[in-house]
Amino acid sequence: MREILKHTPGRIFLIILFLSVVGMLFVPRYFTSKVLVFGWMTLPLAAGLIFIFVWLVAYLIYFFKYWPYR
Amino acid sequence: MEIIILSLFGLAILLLAAYGYKISAKTAEDYMLAGRTIGVVVMFFFILFAVSSSWTFYGYPGFLYLHGPAYIYFIWGSVAGFAALYMFLGPRLWAVARLNRYISPVEVLSERYESPLLRLILSIMLLAFIVPYIGIQPLGVGLGFKALTGLPVIVGALYTVALLVILVFLGGMRIVAWGNIFLGAVYATAILGSLIWVVNRFLPGGLTEAAQNLMVSNPELLSAPGPLGYFKPVIIGGTMVVGLLAFSWPHIVIGVMTARDKLLFKWFPLLIFVFGGVFFYTIPFIWGSLVAPAVMPGVVGKEAVDSIIQTIITKYLPGWFSIYVLMGVIAAAVSTAAVQLLTSSIIVSRDLIQGFFKPDAADIKIIRWARLSLIGVVVLSLGISIWNPMAMALYLTEVTIPGFAQWGPALVGGLLWKRGTKQGALTGTLAGLIYLIAGLIYRPLFFEMHPVMPTIIVNMVLYIAVSFFTPPPSEEIRSKFFDEVDDFLAAK
Repeated sequence: MREILKHTPGRIFLIILFLSVVGMLFVPRYFTSKVLVFGWMTLPLAAGLIFIFVWLVAYLIYFFKYWPYR
Repeated sequence: MEIIILSLFGLAILLLAAYGYKISAKTAEDYMLAGRTIGVVVMFFFILFAVSSSWTFYGYPGFLYLHGPAYIYFIWGSVAGFAALYMFLGPRLWAVARLNRYISPVEVLSERYESPLLRLILSIMLLAFIVPYIGIQPLGVGLGFKALTGLPVIVGALYTVALLVILVFLGGMRIVAWGNIFLGAVYATAILGSLIWVVNRFLPGGLTEAAQNLMVSNPELLSAPGPLGYFKPVIIGGTMVVGLLAFSWPHIVIGVMTARDKLLFKWFPLLIFVFGGVFFYTIPFIWGSLVAPAVMPGVVGKEAVDSIIQTIITKYLPGWFSIYVLMGVIAAAVSTAAVQLLTSSIIVSRDLIQGFFKPDAADIKIIRWARLSLIGVVVLSLGISIWNPMAMALYLTEVTIPGFAQWGPALVGGLLWKRGTKQGALTGTLAGLIYLIAGLIYRPLFFEMHPVMPTIIVNMVLYIAVSFFTPPPSEEIRSKFFDEVDDFLAAK
């Protein structure tokens, strides 16, 4: 992680991950709604899949393009 | 029929362990860390199924069945926690252990902080929290065994313990890791196959039909806070934070040290995100939150709810498939408990016996102590679980996870922060541990929070504050744990 903090792409990567965690902690207030995505997917599942997708994309870009030890 | 199939399954484990014994190099590094040769695919199965215990078949879907979908936040936190371990801490821990031939992560921290006392405290603390956890697995299998065969719980528990001991005693870390591919495949096909089969048979409209049924019969199961009002936003957030602390589970941390090369850390998160987060963990989620309540609503009582998937399978699917599913549950239990058992025996032999009493012991002796200690650990853990089975479920979420978290600040700081000191690590760890024990005895000390939250905050604040007010680590330590690691990782 020390190597990630040492350059701008790494810091951007960490900020994105951090903001996604904050977002996950913020959205549960809307989980009282019984909205079903695609007719079956409950909101905590949908929120988590988006969260994982954000981490996945950020990781792919950073680790395959910028990570110093790649 | 059941006995024959389970005997064949046991035989497969025995052959696997015997093969591992035959090919092992008989060195401590080979027995305990698979000779540091684990590649990314084996590592993925190793870690995924070291984490996916029988809890993913019983406790997790049972809790979703009772309280609705928000419990999945623990999984989202855990997936991020495991990925963070491999992305942020893993490369440095792996590099420093490889450069200095460290075998245990506790050994790494005791050297980093130059503190045998920290080694003693961490060893005892981690053993205290991991040992009862091991016993939960065979006991869980015993309940499934009883439901299917009618045999007493202890028979299934002893069967599982026998498999565990054979696998770990003979095979060591390499076969535990490879074995997790076989065990994980059995478990994944059992839980996924049963889900597809039940949906096809009872819900021709698929998951949409399940959700629509619940919308009519029990809509509270489709949202937070759930039918019993448990999952308020603050609890959901806390559940995710507890999951994030998965990076500190000792049996997962030690997996990092078995890696073949640094490229593993580049590829591993991909598998965790795609196959772990998106695919594997959504199977028990769909089972517990949608399919089980739609197919068999109205089940009450914790034990009955925990066994909801097994009950549905036993009642509606053919007998031979129920046996296969039980085999899958045994596989899940063994794959987790084997890694925990091996981690415990490494701590006993490497950190306690060799670290304090026999520093110059030969490898063959270290391996012998590890094998003897694993038998002691398994007997102790099973004894504790049988003696007090009801408390064990609570032990996992309320004690084990907060307990594991208490070495988190020293671990993270030791690997990433040059200024972290021995005094800071000792003060933070001890304060967090004492606070946890005191709070478990007198609950108001936690101020209505999950035990992990206040204890980890106190631990972390003290670690940082005391480190700032005490002399920094020596130049030799800074060079060994930071400069040399940087150079090693930067090399092509």
